[in-house]
Parts: sequence; C-alpha cells; structure tokens
Amino acid sequence: MSNDRMDRNDHAAIQAVLAGDKEAYGALVVRHSHTLFRVAYRITGNEADAEDAVQEAFLRGYRKLEGFESRANFGTWIYRIAVHCALDKIKRRKGDETSRVAEATDPEQDQVQVADAGAGPERLLLSGEIGSLQMEALHSLTATERTAFVMRHMEDSTTAEIGAALGIEPNAAKQAVFRAVQKMRRRLAPLRVAT
Amino acid sequence: MMHLTEEEMIAEFYGESDNPAAVERHLAACAGCAQAFAELKRDLADVNRIEAPARDAGYGERVWAALAPALPAYAKQERRGWAGNGWAARRWTNPWTKGLSYAAACALLVSCAFYAGRVWEQQKQQPIAQVTPKAPQAKQPIVVVVLDDHLDRSERFLVQLKHADVDSAQTAWPLRDEARSLLAANRVCRKNLAKTSDPELATALDHLDSLLAETVNEPGGLNAASIAKLQDEMNADGLLFEVRVLRTRITHPERAGDNPAKGGTI
Repeated sequence: MSNDRMDRNDHAAIQAVLAGDKEAYGALVVRHSHTLFRVAYRITGNEADAEDAVQEAFLRGYRKLEGFESRANFGTWIYRIAVHCALDKIKRRKGDETSRVAEATDPEQDQVQVADAGAGPERLLLSGEIGSLQMEALHSLTATERTAFVMRHMEDSTTAEIGAALGIEPNAAKQAVFRAVQKMRRRLAPLRVAT
Repeated sequence: MMHLTEEEMIAEFYGESDNPAAVERHLAACAGCAQAFAELKRDLADVNRIEAPARDAGYGERVWAALAPALPAYAKQERRGWAGNGWAARRWTNPWTKGLSYAAACALLVSCAFYAGRVWEQQKQQPIAQVTPKAPQAKQPIVVVVLDDHLDRSERFLVQLKHADVDSAQTAWPLRDEARSLLAANRVCRKNLAKTSDPELATALDHLDSLLAETVNEPGGLNAASIAKLQDEMNADGLLFEVRVLRTRITHPERAGDNPAKGGTI
C-alpha cells in the first residue's frame, strides 16, 4: 500500500473512531502493529516487553486520538508513542536490575537474531557470540542512549526524529547518539582484536 | 582544517555532518583521520541490526482483540454551537477527559480556597504590621484580638500535640499542616514584636517558633517517638503554660496586674 493511500486510510479510520466507531481503531492497530513491535523489540531486546509496549502505545494513542493533528502522519505519531513506551519499559527494568552483567551475558536471556548470510557452523557460533556481546554492549548504555542509538543505527531515524520521539532537543539527541557510539565501540573493542 | 573529532566522524558516518564537503576534503588529505574514520566505519558496520522475531499475519488482530474490551467508544459527533465540528462535544463526553476535567475543577477549587484563606489570614495580621509606637492606644484593641487569636490557636495546637494519636496518619498530617500555618503567622507576630518591648512575649514566641519549625521539618514525619522528642527537647509543656499565662495577661490585663497598655504596644 502506498504511503499516501495509507495516510488517507488512517485518517478515515481516525474520523470514524472519533465519530463513535470504536472498531475502526482495529484497522489502525492491525496496520501498524508490526512496525511498532519491531522498534519496541529493538529497544527493549525482549519479546514480552516489546508486546507490552505495543499494547500500551495503542492504548495511549486511543486516549490521545482527539489531540492528533489531522495533518500529521498517524504512523509517525504512534511510532513515537511506542518508542516512549519501550523507553519506559527499559527504564523500569533498569531500576529492577540488580546485576546487569550477569543478565546480559546469559545467552538465553536476550536472544537476538543477528543477520548473517553466509554461514557455516563456526561462523554461526561466532555470529551468536557477537550477537551476545552486542546485546551486552547495548545493555551498558543508558535508556536514552540505547533508544537513540537503536533509532539512529537500526531504524535510520534522523536526530530530529529521535529528538521528537524522546522529547528532547535535536542537539541532545545527537549527543546521546555520540555517547552511545563511543560506549559501544569501547565495549566491542575486544571483539575487534579477536577477529 | 584541524583533525576531525570523533563526534564529527560519527556525524559524517550517519550523513549528518554540518559541513560534509569540508570533512570529505580533510579525509582525503589527512591519512590519520582517514584511518580513524575507516576504523569507525568498520566498527559500526559490525554492529548488526537487531532483527525482531517474526510476527505472523494475525499478530495485529491479536493485539486488537486484547485491547478492544478496555477501550470505551468515543461519543458520536454532534454539531453544536460554535464548535461546529463537534470537537467540544466529544471532548466533554470522553470519559477520560471528563475525569480529568473534574480533577482539574477540584484542584482549582482547592487552590482558590487556599489562596482566599491566605489572603484572609494576611488581612487579619495586617493590623499588627501597621501598629506604630506613636499611636499604640488607637490600634490596641485590634492588636490584642489578633495576638489573642494567634495564642489561642497556638494553645490548641500544643494541647493537640500533647494528646495526639500520632500513629494515625489522619492525625499526623493535619497537625503538621496546622504547625506550618501557625509558623507563618508566628513569624509575622515576631517581626512586629521586634519593634516593641515585651521580653516575655518575645521569648514565648521565639520558643513557639522553634517548636513549630521542628514539627514542620521533622524528617520522618510525626510519630510517637518524634512527638516525645519534641515534648522533651523543646519543653512543649512549659511552652503551653507560658502561652496560657500570656493569653490571660492579654485578654484580662487587670488579673495579671500588668499595665494594660503593655500588650497593645506589640
């Protein structure tokens, strides 16, 4: 579906919801839930938290639907809400964590599918280790840095978009990306030597 | 151009450099920066995208099925008055907005009541500030009434403190609020008293000020232990006695055998 057509469909659904047709929101949920799950998973690194964040995002979106500007893009808007929800999740989880290192090095704790095309058994093993180390490095970032890095590096968002999603100035978002990259490089330096 | 900083290289890598042409020219000319940039590119290229586990086509439906029961329908749009598009009607019939509106209205009401109370209290205390030594007799009745009222409140507070069931939050919070309110009033009284010469009253109000400040700022809140500490360290019983004597002297100067004009000079 083209973006323009999706926009028109989204706006028609929003009008219907605001006119009392609750079921019309279902179409918006179905249309955007995969995108929201992807970004929520990348930020939280955890399926259960990502699913919670998606539900919470659609719930918040429904409550705020009256305030949604008709000129805006619903997909972008609900995406930002999902980023917020995922960020809240990791902030809450960080507060609960007593031993981040132990958790991050547990290979079953954070199963991350690292894209790897040409794979023999050794390569797959190495790829799995790299994935674990990367996840560990991501865990070492603050919630904001991690979200900024995921959005910049994996979601290809601009710093302006990151700033808007995190509710901070673009320059602060840029700094968060810089700090994240510096920390990631430091954490992954042993990997560079090994390979 | 100076050597590139890591920040500039990171911005260049993500295509957000402030001056990409200058950065590229520098990278072409400076072997050190070119090498550092190549290392940065390699490091970041090694950081793979986290691939989210696949969700089947029915995922969105399941999310909606879980959400739908919790969502109230928006009220149907109606064209009303100036709002025209029914926005105002929706706004007030949405249960969340309605709840928020009630909460906001209550908060506004409480704020207004609080503000009105403060203004009223200040107006009551105003005459003390306006008393001048030149015309003490003219202001005396008002001053006596205001001071008597303050001492009356202080006396009641000290009695409550003495007999408080402080294990109950319902008792502890109002006590602390009353202490806070009395502290403000007491400071106005003390300030005005500084211009007069009634050492007994001044001492009592100083003592009262210390006790009230301790009560308001008690770190763990009011409880049996903190009250006992206040009673002991601040001699609350002694203060209660002092306040009662002062009240008697101010309201019935003839009994106290004092000069009636003494209280009026405050």
